[in-house]
Amino acid sequence: MQACTYHVLCINPGSTSTKIAVYQGSRSLFHMNITHTEEEIGAYEKISDQFSFRKEAILKSLKDNNVDLDCIEAVMGRGGLIKPVPAGVFLVNKALKRDLKNSPLGEHASNLGGLIADDIAQSLPKAKAYIANPVVVDELEPIARISGNPKFQRVSIFHALNQKAIAREFARIHSKKYEDYNLIVAHMGGGITVGAHKKGKVIDVNQGLDGEGPFSPERSGTLPVGQLVEACYSGDYQKAEVRKMIVGKGGLVAYFGTNNARKIEQMALSGEEQPKLVYEAMAYQVAKEIGAMFTALKGEVDAIILTGGLAYSNYFTNQISERVFKLAPVHVYPGEDEMKALAMNATMILSGEVQPLIYQ
Amino acid sequence: MENTLILVINPRAIYTRVAVYQGHSILFLKDIQHPDQELGRFSHYIEQVDYRTTKIIKELDDNGICLNCIRAVVGRGGLLKPVESGIYSVNEQVLADLMSEEYGEDPVNLGGILAYYLAKSQDNCTPLIVDPVAVDEFCELARYTGHKEFVKKSIFHALNQKAMARKHAKALMKDYTEMKLIVAHLGSGISVSAHKNGKVIDSNQVLDGDGPFSPERTGSLPTGDVIRYCFNSGKSEDEILDMVMHKGGLYSYLGTYSAYEVDKRVLNGDQEAAKVFEAMAYQVSKEIGAMYAVLDSDIDGIIITGGIANSSWFVGKIIQRVKNMGPVHIYPGMREIESMAHRALSAINGELDIKEYKY
Repeated sequence: MQACTYHVLCINPGSTSTKIAVYQGSRSLFHMNITHTEEEIGAYEKISDQFSFRKEAILKSLKDNNVDLDCIEAVMGRGGLIKPVPAGVFLVNKALKRDLKNSPLGEHASNLGGLIADDIAQSLPKAKAYIANPVVVDELEPIARISGNPKFQRVSIFHALNQKAIAREFARIHSKKYEDYNLIVAHMGGGITVGAHKKGKVIDVNQGLDGEGPFSPERSGTLPVGQLVEACYSGDYQKAEVRKMIVGKGGLVAYFGTNNARKIEQMALSGEEQPKLVYEAMAYQVAKEIGAMFTALKGEVDAIILTGGLAYSNYFTNQISERVFKLAPVHVYPGEDEMKALAMNATMILSGEVQPLIYQ
Repeated sequence: MENTLILVINPRAIYTRVAVYQGHSILFLKDIQHPDQELGRFSHYIEQVDYRTTKIIKELDDNGICLNCIRAVVGRGGLLKPVESGIYSVNEQVLADLMSEEYGEDPVNLGGILAYYLAKSQDNCTPLIVDPVAVDEFCELARYTGHKEFVKKSIFHALNQKAMARKHAKALMKDYTEMKLIVAHLGSGISVSAHKNGKVIDSNQVLDGDGPFSPERTGSLPTGDVIRYCFNSGKSEDEILDMVMHKGGLYSYLGTYSAYEVDKRVLNGDQEAAKVFEAMAYQVSKEIGAMYAVLDSDIDGIIITGGIANSSWFVGKIIQRVKNMGPVHIYPGMREIESMAHRALSAINGELDIKEYKY
């Protein structure tokens, strides 16, 4: 059987929509973005309560579009905030479901991915459910975990799915294996993570969720600790408000009230000073993080890869390239395709190229 | 002016380093210790002005140094409003800003204050400070953080970094103002800075939580965790800031502020010490990598200086990560005292402009 014949259903729940897709090998047969209104979502107190609602919406969409599910061999869910795991594809088992329901790191829409995938797979004749490269993929070297205080260990939370998929794509194009390369991958979307990929393992990466690194369209990245502590004790903010300042209302949103980087770029190009400086400062911080990851790889880097939505902007990627092109060749892979990445991971399992991992 | 004497003062938390120069030659150097039982009665550094002044005068007296012959007293510059690099007279405004601790509390502030009062007690004696920690030559992009409520400030070891960079340039018969250098100052605090044509266009902020951790400071910490800690730990603001500035880094892992001791432990096979010490080198390396990008990956060299540069184990861990970027030069220790003396001499001889600090 050829790899291209495997049929895969992918489920990717976001905060206000659920993306679904059916792939045959790397070919997309069906794609749909099911949007959920605020009223629909607002009816549920917790994200986990949306399980049945989202599942029914998915099944209805598939039925309405006459998608044949009988040939589906894998249902891939976008992985969630579970315990730190090695990179790879995980069979959805009891332990995984338990942690997706009661996430140790907090609620996140993507937690529903594995749960819904499992439920749908059970109703299909020959399908199993998996998740692949969740954001908690952790391959950090011990040295990268140590912060300036033992109470604050550095952890690995990043765009593992896209970073790994793009890195593999890069390797495939160059007829080599991902595991043969040392790469720096910068995923630049609503959040920005820059990972040091050493022979297939991400040995260091800025903690992209609420921690550190470059600022992004909606996150603050690293902030001076002293000033942050002062803000916490100023009495001006509740805990949730300070948290919002770093996730959701940080970065471009904090400066301009929008996370729309294209709009800021337009303002910058039309000569507005503040948007230009802030936009370029964001690229500047990405370049600095790339420089830092260069040392994590001891200066032995085969390529620097810029990916994610911001990589569509030549202006933005040029700002970065100008600073780092002497470190290693810079390759730009704009956008991200999580659905394709999920399908690609499923194919690797179904073809026997890699074995699924068991979550414990 | 062969008899011109210059008094140099560098106040630290538990001692005051004083030196007397005649021309370019050092006549006298002493660390006047301030034991706990003497400092215990003070709750703030600025309350120690009279106490330290008296100790300094007595020390000079005991060593037969003629106070009347001192033409300039140069103190370690403190936390002031951002200024350009250079030598400044300690005017009323400098004094006021140091005394009010408007820009932060640190023993370094005593430098300018002690210089002012010691000079004032003599005829024809000028109080000076050189390259205060507030030297600010940042490029615009370096000032932005990920939130408009937070600003990155230029606070780093300007004096020693610039002195070492100049020394290095001189050794290569080049001009500091025509070089691109990364300078890592490794002391109780650690600053890593990008020097472009004589200006420090970016640096981690050394004081309270930015960049690599150091023997006593945490450096950057994950922001989400800091917020949770502030709201959930039950600690006061002062306790947390104290942890960030004075009880972080090597101290928080190994219970000592002394990198010298940690180095010894590492060489004796202490695995835990090695793990943490290497992590500190790792973070310094990452900051050097970041500054490399700031300088468009095009540099003349990397300078490693400060006390910890004496540890060849530590420096070796950095070199293996940054060697591909450019030549690495090690200048262990500090040249703060010598640099202050020489520049003060040039200033009172009229070879260097004395700048006026303005409000």
